[in-house]
Amino acid sequence: MANRTSRGLPAKLGLALCYVAFAGFVLFPLVWIFLMSIKNFGDIIAYPPRFVFAPTLSNYAEILFGSEAERASGQVPDLIKFLMNSVIISGGAVILSALIGIPAAYALARRRDTTSDKLRFTVLSFRFAPELVVILPLYVIYSRVGLYDTYVGMILVHQLITLPLMILILASFFRDMPIEIEEAARVDGAGIWTILTAIVVPIARPGIASAMMIAFIFSWNNMIFGLVLAGGNTRPVTMGILQAMTFDQIKWGVMAASAMVSAFPGMVAAVLFQKQITRGLTLGAVK
Amino acid sequence: MASIQLRGVEKSFGAANIIKGIDLAIADGEFVALVGPSGCGKSTLLRIISGLESATRGEILLDGRIVNDDSPRDRNVAMVFQSYALYPHMTVAQNMAFNLKLSRKDKQEISRRVEEAARMLDLVDLLERRPGQLSGGQRQRVAMGRAIVRNPSVFLFDEPLSNLDAKLRVQMRGEIKLLHHRVKTTAVYVTHDQIEAMTLADRIVVLNRGVIEQVGTPLELYNKPANLFVAGFIGSPSMNFIDARLKDSASGQKAELADGTQILLPARPFASKSGKITLGMRPENIVVERESGNMAGTVKVSEPTGPQTHLVVEAAGTDMLAIVRADFAARAGDGLRLSFSPNTLHVFDAESGRVL
Repeated sequence: MANRTSRGLPAKLGLALCYVAFAGFVLFPLVWIFLMSIKNFGDIIAYPPRFVFAPTLSNYAEILFGSEAERASGQVPDLIKFLMNSVIISGGAVILSALIGIPAAYALARRRDTTSDKLRFTVLSFRFAPELVVILPLYVIYSRVGLYDTYVGMILVHQLITLPLMILILASFFRDMPIEIEEAARVDGAGIWTILTAIVVPIARPGIASAMMIAFIFSWNNMIFGLVLAGGNTRPVTMGILQAMTFDQIKWGVMAASAMVSAFPGMVAAVLFQKQITRGLTLGAVK
Repeated sequence: MASIQLRGVEKSFGAANIIKGIDLAIADGEFVALVGPSGCGKSTLLRIISGLESATRGEILLDGRIVNDDSPRDRNVAMVFQSYALYPHMTVAQNMAFNLKLSRKDKQEISRRVEEAARMLDLVDLLERRPGQLSGGQRQRVAMGRAIVRNPSVFLFDEPLSNLDAKLRVQMRGEIKLLHHRVKTTAVYVTHDQIEAMTLADRIVVLNRGVIEQVGTPLELYNKPANLFVAGFIGSPSMNFIDARLKDSASGQKAELADGTQILLPARPFASKSGKITLGMRPENIVVERESGNMAGTVKVSEPTGPQTHLVVEAAGTDMLAIVRADFAARAGDGLRLSFSPNTLHVFDAESGRVL
C-alpha cells in the first residue's frame, strides 16, 4: 500500500531546506551570543568575526563568582543577587497568580453568561496593552506609596503578566473537565470551596503546573518592569545584562554571558516541559 | 428514607419550556422509573429532585418538607450518574468515603461502612485501585457503592447502565433490583430503555415533551396504555397501529380497515366523534395461521431471534409485526392469515390519541 504521506525526493529536500533555514533563523542569535560569551575581548571585536578561537570561561567566572575586586572584599556578585531577585519576583508572582487565578478561572469556566464573557475579555485585554502604557504612571504611584524597589511592588506589577496567563489557560482547562464529577461532589455534600480544593485542583494538577510554568517563563523574561520599577535591591536578572555597560567600557563578553545565564532557566524549562507548555498554550484552541 | 412529592413543577431554560407542570407522588421505599424519549425532560426532572437544578415554578417535597431552596447537601439524596462521575484522583475506598468524610463521621465508622458496601457490591479487592484501573462494570458498582454507603433518603439514578455493554447491562439491572430489595430506599430511576424500566420499577412514569403521559405499574402500562404514545413506547417490539373506522353491527362493534376488512372489537361501547379510530395490536397477540383468520397478509421479512421469530407481514396496506413460534416456517412471499382476539385489541381515538 502506498504511504499517503510519502513525497518525492525534491519535495523532501525542499522541506529539509526550509527546516534548516527556520532553525538557523531561530538559533543563530542564540549561537552568536553563546560564542560571544566564551570569547575574550580581542576575539569579540575582531573583524571579520572569528569562528576559530581559544574559548574562555572568564566571562562566566566574572559574573558568577565576581570580579577580582569583589572576590577580595567577599561581596556577592551582582548577577547572583539578580538571579535570586528574579527567583523571588517570578516565583512570588506565579504563586500569587495561582492563588487568585485558580478560583477566578474556575468561576469563569463554570459561569457561562455574558458577565463572565465580559470579564474574560477584560482579563485578556491586559495582555493587549503594552507595558509601556502603564509603566510611567506606575512609577509615580510606586514612588509615592513606597513600593518602588520592593519585592512586593515587583510581585504586584508582575501580576499584569502572570495573572491573565494563569486565568486564561486554566479557564480553558477547567471548561474541558467533565462537570458531572463536580455535580457528584455537590450531591456528596461538598460546597464550592471543597469542590475546588478537593476535586478540581487535584484533577487539574497537570494543567495548573503547565500554566504556572508558562507564567513563570513570561515573568522571568520581562525586563521593562525591572528597568523602571526596580532599584538596587530588587533588580531582576534581565537587568544584569545592562550591568556590563560600565562607565568606561562595554564588556561585551560579560554581557553575552549574562544574557545566556538569564535565558537559561527559560530554555531548560522549554526543553523539559515542551509537551505541557504546548498543551497549555493551545488549550481550548482545539475543542 | 423518604417520600417524594412534586407539585406543579415547571422548568424553562430561557424561552424553552423543558418541564411543563409535573405532579407526582412517590411513596417511601418505592422504586419509580422515569422513561421517555430523549429530550422529554426526564433527566432534568431528576436533577430538580437532586437539587442540582432549580425548578422555575412548583414545589418539591421530601418527606413532606418543601426543599426547593435546599442545596443537594441538605436534601440527603445520592445520585448515580450515567458517566459514573467517579473522582479520578481518589481510590475506590476514598471515592466511597468522600461524603462520609465531608459529614465528619469518625474514621472507624467510615471504614466500617465502606467495607460493608464493598462487600455488598463485590468491591473488596478493588478498594485501593483508582477508577482509571477499573472496567466499566466495576466503575458502575463503585458509583453505586458511593451512593449506598451514605445511607441516603433517596437514590437517584440517571441512566446508570447506558454506558455498559448489553450483557453487563442485564447483569447490573439484576443487581440494582436486588440492592433495592435489600436496602428499601426510595429510588427514582431515569432511563430511555423501557425494558429497564419495566423490569426494575414498581411504577413507571412515562414522560413526553415535558408532561406526564401516564403513571402506573409496568403491567398497567403494558395492558392499559392511556394513549398512543404510551402504547407505542411500552412493549418491545412495539405495538402495531392501523387506522380504521368504527362500525356497528349485529354481532357487536367492529373496526373497518381501509381495505374493507372488519375486525370485531371488545364488547364495550366505543364512541368517537369522528368515527375514526386507531387500532393497536401487540405483535405477541396476533394469531398467525396458514388458512383460517380474518385478514390476509404476505410475509415480507422473517427474523428468527431464537426462541421466537418476528414476521413482518404486509396486510391491509400496512406492515405489521407479528411474533410466532420458532418452528413456524415462513419465508418472504408466503401468504398467511392473521386474526385478533377482541380482548387483546387496543382502541384509540384517531384524533386525540386517547384510549377509548
